[in-house]
Order: sequence, then structure tokens, then C-alpha cells
Amino acid sequence: MGYFERHVLESLVYLPMLTALVLLALPAKGRSLIRGVGIASGALALGGSLYAFVAYDQGAGGFQLVRVYPWMAGLGIDFRLGVDGIGALMVLLTGVVTFAASIVAANRDEDPKAYYVLLNLLVAGVYGTFVSTDLFFFFFFYELAIVPMYLLIAMWGSSSVFPSFSRTKEYAALKLVLMIVAASVLVWIGIIAIYVRSEAGTFDIAALSQAAQDGRLDAGFQRWVFPLVMVGFGLLAGMWPFHTWSPDGHVSAPTSVSMLHAGVLMKLGAFGIIRVGMQLLPQGMDDWSLVLFIIGTINVVYGAVSALAQTDLKYVIGYSSVSHMGYVLMGLGTLDSVGVTGASLQMFSHGVMTALFFTLVGAIYERSHTRDSLVLNGLASRMGWASGLFILAGLASLGLPGLSGFVAEVLVFVGAFRTEPVLGAIGIAGAAITAVYILRLVGRVFFGTPDKQWDHLHDLNLREGIAAASLVIPVVVVGIFPAPFLDVLRPGVAAVLAGIGG
Amino acid sequence: MTLLHFQLLAAALFSLGLYGVLARRNAVLVLMGVELMLNAVNVNLVAFAAYRDIPIATGQVIAIFIITLAAAEVGLALAVVLRLFRSHGSADVDAIRGMRG
Amino acid sequence: MQNAWLIPLFPTVAFVVLALFRRFLPGQGKWLAIAAVMAAFIAAWPVLFDMLGLGVGPYHFPREWFSAGPLSIGWGTLVDPLTVAMLLLVTFVSVLVQVYSLGYMRHEVKGRRGSHVADDPRIGWYYAAHSLFTASMLTLVLADNLLLLYVAWELVGLCSYLLIGFWYERPAAVGAAKKAFITTRVGDVGLLIGIALLVAHTGTFDISANLEMVEHGELSSGITTLVALLLFAGAVGKSAQFPLFVWLPDAMEGPTPVSALIHAATMVTAGVFLVARLLPLYEASEAARYTVASVGLVSGLMGATMALAATDLKRILAFSTMSHLGFMFLALGAGGYTAATFHLLTHGVSKAMLFLAAGSVMHALHDETDIRRMGGLARRMPITGTAFVLGALALSGVPPLAAFWSKDEILVAVASGLNPLFLVGFLLAIVLSALYMARAMRIAFFGEHRADAAHAHESGWTMKGPLALLTVCTVLVGLVALPLGFDGIGSFLFEAGHGPHAFKADAVWMPVGIALALAGLGLGWWLYDRALERVDALRTRFGALARTFERRYYLDPLYQWVVDRVVLAAGRLIAVFDRRWVNDVGMDGPGVATLAVGTRLRMHVSGFFADYGLAVAAGAIALALLLWLGA
Repeated sequence: MGYFERHVLESLVYLPMLTALVLLALPAKGRSLIRGVGIASGALALGGSLYAFVAYDQGAGGFQLVRVYPWMAGLGIDFRLGVDGIGALMVLLTGVVTFAASIVAANRDEDPKAYYVLLNLLVAGVYGTFVSTDLFFFFFFYELAIVPMYLLIAMWGSSSVFPSFSRTKEYAALKLVLMIVAASVLVWIGIIAIYVRSEAGTFDIAALSQAAQDGRLDAGFQRWVFPLVMVGFGLLAGMWPFHTWSPDGHVSAPTSVSMLHAGVLMKLGAFGIIRVGMQLLPQGMDDWSLVLFIIGTINVVYGAVSALAQTDLKYVIGYSSVSHMGYVLMGLGTLDSVGVTGASLQMFSHGVMTALFFTLVGAIYERSHTRDSLVLNGLASRMGWASGLFILAGLASLGLPGLSGFVAEVLVFVGAFRTEPVLGAIGIAGAAITAVYILRLVGRVFFGTPDKQWDHLHDLNLREGIAAASLVIPVVVVGIFPAPFLDVLRPGVAAVLAGIGG
Repeated sequence: MTLLHFQLLAAALFSLGLYGVLARRNAVLVLMGVELMLNAVNVNLVAFAAYRDIPIATGQVIAIFIITLAAAEVGLALAVVLRLFRSHGSADVDAIRGMRG
Repeated sequence: MQNAWLIPLFPTVAFVVLALFRRFLPGQGKWLAIAAVMAAFIAAWPVLFDMLGLGVGPYHFPREWFSAGPLSIGWGTLVDPLTVAMLLLVTFVSVLVQVYSLGYMRHEVKGRRGSHVADDPRIGWYYAAHSLFTASMLTLVLADNLLLLYVAWELVGLCSYLLIGFWYERPAAVGAAKKAFITTRVGDVGLLIGIALLVAHTGTFDISANLEMVEHGELSSGITTLVALLLFAGAVGKSAQFPLFVWLPDAMEGPTPVSALIHAATMVTAGVFLVARLLPLYEASEAARYTVASVGLVSGLMGATMALAATDLKRILAFSTMSHLGFMFLALGAGGYTAATFHLLTHGVSKAMLFLAAGSVMHALHDETDIRRMGGLARRMPITGTAFVLGALALSGVPPLAAFWSKDEILVAVASGLNPLFLVGFLLAIVLSALYMARAMRIAFFGEHRADAAHAHESGWTMKGPLALLTVCTVLVGLVALPLGFDGIGSFLFEAGHGPHAFKADAVWMPVGIALALAGLGLGWWLYDRALERVDALRTRFGALARTFERRYYLDPLYQWVVDRVVLAAGRLIAVFDRRWVNDVGMDGPGVATLAVGTRLRMHVSGFFADYGLAVAAGAIALALLLWLGA
């Protein structure tokens, strides 16, 4: 292993932390310097993530780029890093979304220093979760990612008043954090229970997984611990009926936070279900998979139908995220190699697609100061690139072939039909509802003749253009050449499923 | 002099201190009560160390610890009292009810 | 032949270049698009020659695209005579339509110094979308597996959406585009479910492998029927059959060349292509076969009657398309593979020509489409008039024009392969289709001039040329049915396993078909004279029926009701439920309850320092007592 290969994962965790420290030392007045450092850090993260993704050898499989730093030997807690196929893809996703978000964040004028510091802490937490192979640090970083969210939304967010109700940013931030923290209590109980019951004396995920394989976690134990883990992580993945923090959070959060929130933070939940739920509690997963599958299907349809009635652009996308994360839960619930592969790819696909959506909604909002789809119209004539890219994201969202969403969703559907055809059929119908709300929205907001009040709107600036381009490229590339991504996922999915009844 | 004498002394000191803490309204006097209680504990520690067979002078060491801590505590507490006096115009602990539900 | 995959590559490259760099290209890259589609057209010929030399195949060239778990998904090609025929049809019509668009998409553009005639400001995007369409359609006919077919299927739908809504400033165009996409998407749900179900049982997307398993009876008959019907749902949506035809008339809001290419000659035939490709699946299930035939017949009759009542020239043609696609499904249901695919070709050529003629009329009359405001156009526009009349006669089934041959084939197939009830219906449909064609022809092109029609004139060569070329084809293409060195269309189009089936003139049905077509034409000519008195009399007599035709069997208001009152209402209900109950009660509820408990509990907190101290002391003493007593 070369130097980079040895240190790339830890660098990805330390880089945002270091950036935060550097930013703290910079004078708050040097705005352009602060933005420069923030964007440079994002670019480095993207580069590192790409490197880690490419360095992952799909032929060998298993955990790679492994590093172990002893920490608390007595309790069996060590700082272990490594990625499997799924983790490698998630690292790449984080890199892409972080890069775009750090560029978009430069559009904010109030206190960029504190904003970037918190954003980088959030990113450090996300990277840490995806690369930790020690359960303790996994949980530690998971929690680290959540705390900055509160401050970012409560301090830089926006409050909205709708005809029948209103949402303050403080309410949204508080709800988001309280719900996630409450859920992570369940996760923590589960983790401690696994640690104690396995009697392995270590938090090493690989060792615990082996213990589960050896039957040291009996079926009864797994059956009651799994739901804790499923609900605890599922909440962060927007699992119905614990999803309401997510759309409200999106509506109140500033653009770049929404991007990270929907793009990567929600993926932490699904990733947690894979890492802890499926790898450490295979028997429990087997018992509860149908429940997860059904809830995922409910997510798909419920989110799509809810999105139909929304008029605020961010609410539409917020509920569409609930719907799309449903495909992830469905795919995991199939316990089928095709379905789980589809779910993992959907995590990536949804991440970049939603981040793209939020970039564009943010750009529109900053210019027009409204997100109301009943007020906006004819934007295609004013903001050609923004409109075109939004439509592209919309098409990816409704599962158009040639774009990333399709490959992922089709795999989920095929997996679903191999296990529960009826649920699969309902899921496909959900995709049709997606077409209805996306096309209604596109027709209203982008087509037609624009009102006089939109004459002053100008198209994306260079920064927004770069951010959007960095997100569009993966959407198109995964849609047309999914093979390299699926090849990396294959050993990861195979290893996860190997423990579950075959 | 037996151990009992020292224990009685410590108990008396502690009760006096407790009375001071609970009944006094002046913050400085409350602090003095706290000091009395700490010293009562010190007396106990040293007495036990002297009369019982306890290795490497544990009681004395802890007593010295407590004396150090008490000094720091008094420094900090007096500063707090000073701030309170500045902001509230008195050092009456009953007048400060910021923690009322 | 193994390089047939290169054919869609030309327009794909054109699309990518135009989509990204059209601003920097002369004429926004329209020449590049035309060159690319021309290259594709030329490249399609060697495939035909290969096949004529090597035999009909089918030739299968698998290539892997990606794989997941045990599934492998390819981008390989499956070349059989049907593919070749479609390749030639698609590329040929694409070339002509793109050339035609050069003239058609020049219109008055308001500039700073008054208006002048120029290219449409988004001409580059128009050609980009056309290129993408051609590429996707070619991929669709070449695909060797169901997933790639579905990919192309959705992409042609996207192009249809983009091109119907090309003039997106017009609310009607945007609405029509949305309606087209969503309506076909409803069918596609069935298609995707069908594919997923099939693959779940057979474990492969490959078309030939799947058909082999079906033929060997490896699927239960229930699954076979279910899959066949679900796949047919997709075909119904795409080919605008009952009950999902509502989008096709509205799709006429798009530019006319688009209607000619996408909504007449190629994309709408994808449904027929799908069923033809998977015919063994339908032959394995009597129920599916009869469903296909029934939907085809019902659509054929419905389309013909609605065409009879429509007054918009393009919509008449759209309903006619729906009707003729119905005939193809009817033929497929009867097992008439050759008849259906042959009709697909002849109809594609004739209908494309009719649309181009209609476009020529619209161009001359400033986008007027109401036939009641036309009249006498044949004298003003001889080329357009000749083309339209020949097209109308061809689709009515007058020999020796294109659709006569194929219609005769369908008649034979229906007579031999289905219940006589279908035959009666089809004979009625033949009369009706001659009738509405005669009506449109008579009112728009003959009689005296009305309104603006007096100033009508032919357009430039870019529009006249393709029109003339298609006219020649309409006259000649049917003749391939005759055994000209290769035993006629039947033996060419038939795959191995279906047995040779050369075109044969049937002594009973050919005269009947000709007689009915001529009867329909004569009736139409007589009914729709200048004064229209006879028609008005009929209309008052059968008012309810006429209104049903005009309102398109009331399906539009029904669907609108379903969307507004069921789907959107459910959306609003769920949204409120989500906010009031799931969020406010379910999620905020525990928080509010905790807050209430805390408010009560805090009453016990006095804020007196001494109280806390006392509590601590009391607690300590209690603890000490406990320890003392316990010990």
C-alpha cells in the first residue's frame, strides 16, 4: 500500500476538522479567504473521495484501506478505519455533495466563518461514520454529524409562513435534533446490547459480525434488538411514520445544509441499517425484513402522494426524498442481491440528485425570494440553465432511463419482484405518481410565459454552475455507465447478504 | 484523648457549618458555613488516619487535597458573591431566586 | 450486421454535440443533425443487404452493459426482418422530416427591427431532440433485451414530451406534453411490472431466451397471461389505444413534423412493435391474444368515429392513426404477424406524408387547422393536394396504393384467425376509415375557397421535396408485397418458426375490401358536399351519438375527474393528515406532553437556596441512617 492508500480514509475525516480549526484562526472579516479555504477543502475532499473510490479493489472485496489506531484497549475500542464496497460508494457520494455544498455555501453573506466551521464539522461526522469499522467510533461520528445541523438550521435557516400553518427555523431545528437524538438513543441501546451479549470484548464490526455468524447472538436476542436499530437508523433515513423532521428541516435549512442533509445525512440512516442491522443482526434482519419492506413501500407511495399536494418547491423535494428513501428501504427489505444492490445505488443516486435539486431551488429562491410554485412561472425563458438542469433532476427523480435513478430503481423493482411481487408493483405505481408531481411542477414553474416580475432574474452564475455540473455529471454517468459503480458494490452486497441465510 | 473526642468535634463543627449554610442569608456567611463543613471532614480524616492503621498517610493526603480545593473554591465563590453583589445590590441569598420554577 | 449498433450512434453523437454546443455551431447545428440521421439511414442499408444475402435470422449479438447479483443486463442487438424494416422506416422518415423541418421551422420571428422570417430561436434544441428521438427509436427496435427496450421506450416518450412542448410558452402545448407523458406512463407502469414479473420468473432480460422459455412452456399459463397483459398495457399507452388514447389528439399541439415522425410513423408504432416482437407470448395465451384483438378493434372503431366528428385537420389524422394502429393490434391478435408489420410500414409512410401535407397547409394558412375554414386547396397547392389525396386513398385501401395491400392482409388474417364478430367490426371500420378520409379530403381540398384559403401557396423545396418523395413511396411501397425476386413481404418479414407466408391475393376478401373502401369513399364524397345539408340532417337525427364522437367518448372529462377528485384529493388529504396527525400529534405530541409535565413539576421548585441545601442535608442524613440501620 502506498502512502496515500494508507492514509486516505483518515485524511478524509481529519481534513474537515482541520479546515474547521484553520477557519477558526482566520479573521472573520476576510470573507473571500474564508470562502476560498472552505471551497478548497471541499475540492480536496472530493479528490480524496475519488481516490478512495478508485483505490478500492472490487476483485478482492471485503474491508480495504484499513487502518487501526489503538485507543482504549481495555474496552476493546480502537479507531478502526476501512471501507467495503458500499462504504466506498458512500465516501464518493459524500465527496461530491460536500464539494458542491461548499461552493453553494459561498453564496451566504452572514458570518461565513462560523457557517463553514459548522459545515466542516458536519462533514467530518459524515465521513467518520462511513469509514469507521469500529462500532463505538461509528456511533461517535454519527452523533457528531447531527449536532451542527441544529446550529446551522437555527442560525442560518429561514422561517416560512404558509396559508394554513407556519414553520419557524427554530421549530424545525429543534424537531430535527430531538427526533434524531431520541432515535440514536435506541441505536445506542442496541449497540451496547450487541457489545455485551456477543462477549467479544470489542467494538470491531468485523469481529462482532463474526460473532454473529458463530451464533453468539441468539435469535431471540436479535429479534428484540433489531427493531431498535431499524427504527433508530430508519428515522434518519426518513422512515415512515418518523419522517416529518425531514421535509420541515429542508424547508427551514439554508441551501447547502439541505444538500448535505438530503444528500448524505439521510444516507447515514440507511447505511446504519446495513452496517449494524444487517451485518451484526442477520437473524433479526431476516425476521424483520418484510416489515422493513412494507414500510419502505409505504414510504414510496406516501411520500409521492404527499408531494402531489405541496406548492413550496422545498416541500415537494422534501417529500420526494421521503419517497425515494422508501426505495432504499424497500431494496434492503428484499434481502435479494439485486434489490440490495439497487438500494445501495439508490442511496448514491438520490444523494446527488437531491443535492442538485436543492442547488437549483436555492438559486431560484435567492433571485426571486419565493419558492411558491403557484407564483413562479415561465422561468425557462429567464433562467435557461437552471431550468434545464432542474428538469434533468426531475427526470432522474421520476426514473427516466439514461439517468441514475432509473438503474437503481429498476434493480430495486426486480429485487422486489423476486421476493414480494405485490409490493414491487405498488412501488412501480409510486414511480408513476412521481411523474405526475414532477411534471406538474415543471409545467407550472418553468414553462409558459414569465410574469413581468421575473424579468430581472438572471441565470446561474459560475459558482452555481460548477456546483450543479459536479452533481449532474454523476447523475448522467451512473445512468449510462452504471457498471463501475455496481462492480464496486458487488462484493459489499455479497458480504452483507452472506450472513443472512445464504 | 480518644478517637471519639475527635469525632465529636468534627460532628459539632459539621453541624455548625450546616446550620450556617441553611440558616444564614448572607452569602459570605453561607460560604463560611461551607468552610466549617469541609474542615470538619478534614478533622475526621486526620483523626482516622492517626488512630487507625491506614497505610501511606492516605487521610492526611486527602486532607491536604481538600485544603487546597477549599482555597480554590473560596476564591471562586467570593468572586461569584462579588458579582452577585454588584448585579443585585446585596449578598442576600434569598433575594436571588433565579432557579425558581 | 454485427455493427448494426452503430446506427443509433450517429444521431446520439449529434444529440450530445447539439445539446452542449449548439450555440457555437452554424444554424445551431441543424445541418449536423441532418447529416447524422442521413448517415444512420445509409448505414441501415447494409443490414438489409446482409440479411437478404444470409437469410432472415434472427441474429443475436449480446453485449454486457452492467450486472447486479445474478442478473446481467446487456446492450446487445437482435436483428431480424422486423428490425430491418423498422430501421429503414425510422431512418427514412426521420431524414425526410428533418429536411422538411428546415422549411417548416422557419417562421416570423419578432426582432428589434420588426418581424422577419427566420429559423425558430430554439431550432438547435429542436434538432437535438429530434436526434435523441431517432437514436432512441433505433435503439428500441435493435434492443435484444427487455430492459434496454424499456430504456429506449422511455426515452422516446421523453422526446415526445419535449417536442410536443417545444413551444413551451403556449400553455396548451405544455399541458398536452404533460398529458402525453403521464398517460403513457400509466401504461408504462404495466410494462415495467410485466418486465419485472417476467424476469423474476425467468431470470433474464434477454428477449430470445424469454420467448424460448415461453414456447417450451416453462412458465405457468397464469403468469404468461398476466405478463402478456401487463406488457400490453405499455403498448396501449404508447400506441394510443383505448382506453389510453386521450393524449394523442392533444399531442397535435406540437410542431407538425413532430406529429408526422413521432405521432404517426414511428413512436406510436412502438406498441405494435413490442407485441409483434413478443408474439409467441401472446400466442401462448388465448386470453391475451383476444384482449389484444379486442382493444385493437375497439380502438379502430373509436378512432374512425372520432375522426369523423373532428374538425381539426391534424386531429383527424391523429384519430386515423389511432384507428390504424388498432387494425395492427387486431391483426396481431389474429396471429397475422406479417399483416400487422406490413401495415405498420405502409401506414407509417402514408401517414407521415399526410401529416407533412397537413403541415404544408398549415404553413400556407398561418397555422390554421380547422378544415371548415379551408376548401379548394387542391388548386392552390397542387403538390400538397395530390399528396393528401393519394394518402387518403391509400389509407382507405384503394389499389394499388400502399395500405391497400396491407389492409387486405389484415382482412385475411382476421377472417381466418378470429371470431366472425371481429370480422364484422373490421369491415365496418374499413368503411368508416374511407368515409372520414373522403370527408377531410373533400372539405379541405375541394369545393370553393373559404376565408384565407385563397392566398394559400406552396412552400419551398425543403418542404415540397420530402412530401413528393413520400408520395412516390406511398404509391410504390405496397408493391413489395408482390413476389419480386424474394417471394414478397411475407417471406421477408416472417421469422423462422412462423413458416413462410408470401402475399396471396384472396379471391373472396380482396374484392370485398376494395368494394367497401370505394363505397366508403363514395359515401363520403356524396355526404360532404358543399352545403353539408345531408350531414347536418344526420347530425340532428343522431345528436347524442355525434356528441359522443366529438367529446371523444367522454374519456377526457372522466380522467380529469379522476386526477382532480381522486389523485389530487388524496394528495391533499394525505398532506393534511401528515401535518395534523403524524407531525402535530405523533411527533410533537410527546414533546408537548413532556412540556406539560415539566410545567407541573416546576411548581415545587422555590428558588430559595436554603431549600436546596436542606434537601441535600436531609437526603444525606437519610442515607446515613439507612446505612447505619442496614449495617
